[in-house]
Amino acid sequence: MCLAIPAEVTKLLPDEMAIVSIDGVSKEISVALIENLAVGDYVIIHVGYALTKIDPEEAMRTLELLRELSAEGQGAAS
Amino acid sequence: MSLSFRNEIDITVLLSGATIADVAIKPRNRPPLTRLFAGKPAASLLPVLPRLFSLCSIAHHVAFQSAVEAAQGREAAPATVRRRVTAVVVERLTELLRGLFVGRLALDGTNAPAVRAVMQASALLGGADEAVPPALHRDAAVQIKAALGAMGIAGEEDETLAPGSPLAASVAGCHGKLVSEPEADPSFLTVADDLDIVTRLLADGAAYSDAPDLCGRIPETGVWARRARREAVSAAEAGSAARLKARIAEVARLCAWLDRGDADLDEGVVASYRLGAGKGAAAVECARGRLHHAVALDDEDRVVNFEFLAPTEWNFHARGPLVRSLKGATLATGRQGQDAVRALVGSFDPCVGFSLQFREAGHA
Repeated sequence: MCLAIPAEVTKLLPDEMAIVSIDGVSKEISVALIENLAVGDYVIIHVGYALTKIDPEEAMRTLELLRELSAEGQGAAS
Repeated sequence: MSLSFRNEIDITVLLSGATIADVAIKPRNRPPLTRLFAGKPAASLLPVLPRLFSLCSIAHHVAFQSAVEAAQGREAAPATVRRRVTAVVVERLTELLRGLFVGRLALDGTNAPAVRAVMQASALLGGADEAVPPALHRDAAVQIKAALGAMGIAGEEDETLAPGSPLAASVAGCHGKLVSEPEADPSFLTVADDLDIVTRLLADGAAYSDAPDLCGRIPETGVWARRARREAVSAAEAGSAARLKARIAEVARLCAWLDRGDADLDEGVVASYRLGAGKGAAAVECARGRLHHAVALDDEDRVVNFEFLAPTEWNFHARGPLVRSLKGATLATGRQGQDAVRALVGSFDPCVGFSLQFREAGHA
């Protein structure tokens, strides 16, 4: 299963590409499948492609959930 | 964010000359959903699942909801089941089509508008919880059909492609670069396996879902398995080109089903099972294959146990269908051979990214 990790668009590039930030880590992705994207928008990515745009509030809730999962994972491993 | 679990599969192909001697798979670590969900009211988790999964989120939502209903001894009304089946099918169609554009099969950017049109039309058909007015359903089906036509998918229910289309070129480019021995006795996951799987899932938890089997058998699931269940397929033909054609044929078939508005598609698109007091499970046939959820609830409908098994765990099992397809195959020389392996791995369509390495067998 692919976890839906929200990424913030930080720069739009030519040829339907963009730079996104995933919790501070930058990555270049294709945004060909999303229309009307702007810097500051949040997207869900899969293998280098933005699949959907989500609103920032939803992105924050998802990030919080992923942090909770990550903490549970560390708890299980320790 | 630094996650404490790996969201990628590592595949190492061990070569003896031009022949694949072995394949090692290091699976992704699955997130500890069981621990996260434990003690929480089942109803509060329904909105959480679609938020967590970027692919097949509707399938996860429907599987969890159906498993909880089964645990509670409730049965969904026929109209509700029908809505869920439609939502799962629409999501499956969209995922299969998007997979032609995303990743290893990547078509060029000229196809992006058609894929976007399908994604938008699918969104019109809504989720699994809302009824869609018939006129809206018809409009969405017409839009999807038109977008598929623009991509060159010309068949009503098969993989017929418009000559000269990028998809036709992509299929043609998949042929003949990896010579494999056909699997002697290929096996495919079916609805009949559901009960065994969910029973083991609830009993053994992650020990089972990390490396599932059915009495030692590790069947294939997904597009190729669905095709094999519908019609005779030749194991000798199960290469990346045939798998790509099967995907295209299924996209056309699902579009035709939506267009006709038929009642039935295949058996077990959504199936649920009561496993005893407070215990239930469900299976959903999503794009990559059969997805299973199993849940145990206490008297106040709080989650005592939750387990799930995604199709990728079968197809990318260390002794599973992908490994069996690759072992013993002979590669063309140079880059072409490695690209053919990459195409075959991509045609098994993992739900996470993968890395692929080639090493001489015997070298550490």
